[in-house]
Amino acid sequence: MSGTTAKAPLIHRLRERAGFSGGAAALRVRFIGVIVFQLLLVLVFTALAPRFFTWDNAQSILFTAAILAIAAAGQTLVVLTGNLDLSVGSIMGLSAYVVFNIASGSPDLQPFVILIAVVVGVVLGATNGFLVAVLKIPSIVATLGTLSIYRGIVSFYANATEVTSGELPRWMRTLAETSWLGLSSYVWIALVTIVVVGTMLRMLPWGRQIYAYGSNPKAAHFFGLNSTRIVIGAYVGAGVIAALVGLLLGARVGNINSLLASGIEMSVLAAVVIGGVSIWGGAGSVYGAAIGAIVLATINNGLVILQVQEFYRLLLQGLAIVAAVAVDAVVQRRIQSATKRRRTMGADA
Amino acid sequence: MTRLRRYASELLLVVLIVLAAIASSAMSPYFLDPANLLNAAQFFVIFALMAFGLFPIVVQGEIDISLASTLAIGSVLFATLAVSGVPLVAAVALVLLGTALLGVVNGVLVGYGGLPSLAVTLGTLGAYRGLAYLLAGDAGVVGIPEEYLLFGATKVGPVPVSLLLVLAVAAMFTVLMGATSFGRYSYAIGSSPSAARMAAVPVNRVRVLAYALGGAMAGLAGIVWVSQYQSARGDNADGAILFVLTAVVLGGISIKGGSGRALGVLLATILLGTIQTGMKLANVPGTSQTLVVGALLIGAVGLPRVVSMLRQRFGAPLPSRAQGGGQA
Repeated sequence: MSGTTAKAPLIHRLRERAGFSGGAAALRVRFIGVIVFQLLLVLVFTALAPRFFTWDNAQSILFTAAILAIAAAGQTLVVLTGNLDLSVGSIMGLSAYVVFNIASGSPDLQPFVILIAVVVGVVLGATNGFLVAVLKIPSIVATLGTLSIYRGIVSFYANATEVTSGELPRWMRTLAETSWLGLSSYVWIALVTIVVVGTMLRMLPWGRQIYAYGSNPKAAHFFGLNSTRIVIGAYVGAGVIAALVGLLLGARVGNINSLLASGIEMSVLAAVVIGGVSIWGGAGSVYGAAIGAIVLATINNGLVILQVQEFYRLLLQGLAIVAAVAVDAVVQRRIQSATKRRRTMGADA
Repeated sequence: MTRLRRYASELLLVVLIVLAAIASSAMSPYFLDPANLLNAAQFFVIFALMAFGLFPIVVQGEIDISLASTLAIGSVLFATLAVSGVPLVAAVALVLLGTALLGVVNGVLVGYGGLPSLAVTLGTLGAYRGLAYLLAGDAGVVGIPEEYLLFGATKVGPVPVSLLLVLAVAAMFTVLMGATSFGRYSYAIGSSPSAARMAAVPVNRVRVLAYALGGAMAGLAGIVWVSQYQSARGDNADGAILFVLTAVVLGGISIKGGSGRALGVLLATILLGTIQTGMKLANVPGTSQTLVVGALLIGAVGLPRVVSMLRQRFGAPLPSRAQGGGQA
């Protein structure tokens, strides 16, 4: 309260007016930073292995990134509220196994697999949301618990059997192998999902409330927003997206066992964090998360082409997360100091 | 009476352990066989050591999900040193030092860097796992000389040495958290970091110390791992953090920091061990066992909240206890 009341230096005020300073600019720099990092990766890999920079390879990177990017879009909803969803892999696995198993048992239900998956996603997501928002269990504990509960349910249900690719609905299998305009259908589905979720976050009250709650839960409460409903809504959205992407993954893999997508939560979180969605909540976008997914897919692909072993991938991925979070901390500080400065400037006027 | 209430969560754990033991012995007559009990208990030594390592970190309101990866590095390092003939004492010291350093990296990033511990340790979870693979190579390390396997089959009377190790560590953490400045500082930081800072608690240093201790405990667990499995690979203990975190939370350590005792961690590990052993004897498959562990985790944190919500809505508030006097 004491030091900050002094007048901000002139240069800061000018930059503030011009929009070069403050939180928005810091976030913009953060977003551009990820793109620059991605370009650097492409440059380095191309220099090391010319085979990297081909259309075929770009297709394969985007195909890998597609599933991760969709899952990351769901995770973004939850992370924006300042929480986490570690159960995303278990939701994907449960949805894929249970839905396809039901569909293979009764062919009449095959056209409705998407609907069934949505119901599964709503139930599992709402359970997460209830634990976090109503019972006030810290999200990491709650979703770590549901991670093993949901996975346990699949393995109990599956009883060590598989759903084979022949039992999947025909059109899901066809979809997994189709490409439109030279890109796999999954890439287009990912693109549509990301744009839809991004637009909902930007345009709908539901989306604005998620941002408002995430950047300052207390202020959102005083403003009259229903925090319980916002958090449950975010988890339900994440659950539905995870359930649907589980179907896509299952259709691609073919033979589905009870372990499908286990451990994917780490990659999804990594994509979200690298893509600049603040772990404190309230800042970042699904577009950033999608680029984060592409960065991860590029690292994977490039290291495979260079015939580097698995552990360098883990190492690089881990370092990328730590670096991204470190940058986020700087951005966070910029936003806070900018807000504080604006507040004191307002008080002066 | 007040003393009883102070240890309410520990008493509850004891009751649950007895219930689980009764259920398990009803399912299998072999459960209560002393030899079986001691053997089964050995299996959970590694988890117990990691849980004690995580304990001060959680008390400070932080988390470390990279501990299982640190264990992997510790085990590979110890196995490599053993195979290349480094004296036992030096090997143990080097492993503890090395894994403590890995903890220090986490601690510096969290403490001095001010980064969220979950994201940092998510990063180092991957990075350390990669490092473990790098050190171990594809084949892992095998052929460890007999004299390095001191926490494996060695026994004092009927009791395996590794169980004595756990008891010694439990005693150490009881003293550390209950009777030293590090312990008091940890509870203060966990209750309110800014208040602790104003009270001249060296917050950053204490954080780094907690992470270093956690790393060293994971290293110790890695040494026990090598003794028990007589090999070390890069993927050792992958995914163990769920069990460890469950033990800590179930032991009454608030995930928000500031409360919990070492005794609770020990009892919670025993409870989880009893349940898992019972399920194993009853032939429950592994992944279904995780269902129970997950349900326990959520139940342990969620139930008190449900009870207080129900009490608020329906019951008349108890005169003295209702207003925040309940927890220690």
